[in-house]
Amino acid sequence: MTILEFMLAPLMACLLLILINVYFGIHVLKREIIFIDIALAQIAAFGTTIAVVIEHIMHEGHAQDHDHSGDSILAYILALSFITISSLVFSFLKNKKISIPLEAIIGISYAFATTAAVIILDKAAGGDVHIHDMLIGSILWVSWAQVLKLLIVVAFVGGIHFVFRKKFTQLSDSYHNNNSKIKNSFLWDFLFYLTFGIVIIEAVNISGILTVFAFLILPAAFSSMFSKSWTTRIIVGFVLGAIVSAFGLYFSWNMDVPVAPLIILMLGVCLVLGALFKRFTKINKV
Amino acid sequence: MIENLIFLGPPIAACVVLAGILSYFGNHILTRGIIFIDIAIAQIAALGTMTGLLFGFAEESFSVQIISYGFTILVISLFAVLKSRKMAISQEAIIGILYCVALGLALLLAEKISGGSNYITKTITGNILWVTWKQVLYTLIVVVAVGAIHISYSKKFIQISENIRDKKGAENKRFLELLFYITFGFVIVKAVFIQGIFLVFILLIAPAAIVRLFTANWKQRFIWSWVIGILGSIIGIYISYEYNVSNGPAIVCLLSTLVFLAAFVKVFLKLFRREPLSKIVNNIKE
Repeated sequence: MTILEFMLAPLMACLLLILINVYFGIHVLKREIIFIDIALAQIAAFGTTIAVVIEHIMHEGHAQDHDHSGDSILAYILALSFITISSLVFSFLKNKKISIPLEAIIGISYAFATTAAVIILDKAAGGDVHIHDMLIGSILWVSWAQVLKLLIVVAFVGGIHFVFRKKFTQLSDSYHNNNSKIKNSFLWDFLFYLTFGIVIIEAVNISGILTVFAFLILPAAFSSMFSKSWTTRIIVGFVLGAIVSAFGLYFSWNMDVPVAPLIILMLGVCLVLGALFKRFTKINKV
Repeated sequence: MIENLIFLGPPIAACVVLAGILSYFGNHILTRGIIFIDIAIAQIAALGTMTGLLFGFAEESFSVQIISYGFTILVISLFAVLKSRKMAISQEAIIGILYCVALGLALLLAEKISGGSNYITKTITGNILWVTWKQVLYTLIVVVAVGAIHISYSKKFIQISENIRDKKGAENKRFLELLFYITFGFVIVKAVFIQGIFLVFILLIAPAAIVRLFTANWKQRFIWSWVIGILGSIIGIYISYEYNVSNGPAIVCLLSTLVFLAAFVKVFLKLFRREPLSKIVNNIKE
């Protein structure tokens, strides 16, 4: 098998993930809710955990090996309903209404979802491996079926956001502005978190929490240094992410290192270089 | 019962000591809007420890601790100095990037150290039940030292935290900023080693958030967050003992549920208070 054949599916998955995550990343940076993706991922995982326990109780007596990945329909439904509930909570407890930042609420939900899952599983066998997998995933082993599923989700969510792009961008641009008058902002906020959550469930399944987090924050932060327009930022972020993940996959193949940390580090280096470059051009101009 | 009390003595003492200092810092962290800073610091400290392990030092040895503290203080000083400059993205975004890159590096290192991924899990959960009186004493010394520094500068620290989004005059506050972040880093590294990331995170944010919902007065915030943090820890340990669940997660779930309850109570109170007024206004308009 040539490297191209082997790497084509992971590369496609990376490109799709970057495309949707750069877009959401700009929203997230503007709203200053950086850790929302980790929180939503953990909340979805909490749903999956409950599904595993329920299935275990229902199938007690049968000698049945159930996998931890939670691919069953029940797991997906539970994950989705947990995402829905937390989307409602996040849109309800917006900064304007209460005096603490939404990021605090997000952080607390994150801690709650994680530790509640720990209580339920109570250190299930192989917990270490499970945590490790959930963090960095295994994008190298993604199948074409998974890529197709991701494509459908990205097209669906991307479609919604493209049609209502004005609403969504307006909402995030004026997020910290107390006097903004946007009709039904509660509903749009809810739709924002819900669609984001749907993407996160799929993305984390494929590439793990940490990689998704990196794709979300790093390219969007990089592009924020060079432009203010949404379109330019999406393009800059996407091109950066695409180049870095192509190189990352290639090096990971050649040097036999895990691909996710490699991509994250390269993105981090690019960000620092970008910041330095910007500083020097600024000084030269002055 | 008395045997149990003796067994639970050190964990309870550790929780009381740490809840005191953490809920104090929490008020600052919440006001500054840098919610996830402790998770980032913990991750950087863990990275330092892993670097030490890579050089072949023993896990609990003095050299490893020195490397770990050194690493943390270096990064956090950089953060404190750099952040006062004009930045295109928010501080919380920089924290997110630091966390992400540090965890990526740690995962790369974990491949090179035997039992590396086990170590990553350990930072997440902590082991408060196995804390000794000696560790409690060391923690108390750190807490008293840091507390003394903070009491002598308390007014200035409050001033900086309140005007954190104000970019003017950031230059001459640099020393105080450095002092704030270094003391904070010290406490976090110490606390995470005993309690694990999540318990530290929740003790930091939850009491401060609950109190902030109802008052903006700093003195009251400090006192009440202290009370809530300490009571929450003690009740959490009691629940975990009574119902036989692990006590870190029990405290986290208890305190985070409290935050959600408090936030909803606050929002509903506000709604009811406002409802009659708006109705009156509408009636007048008609």
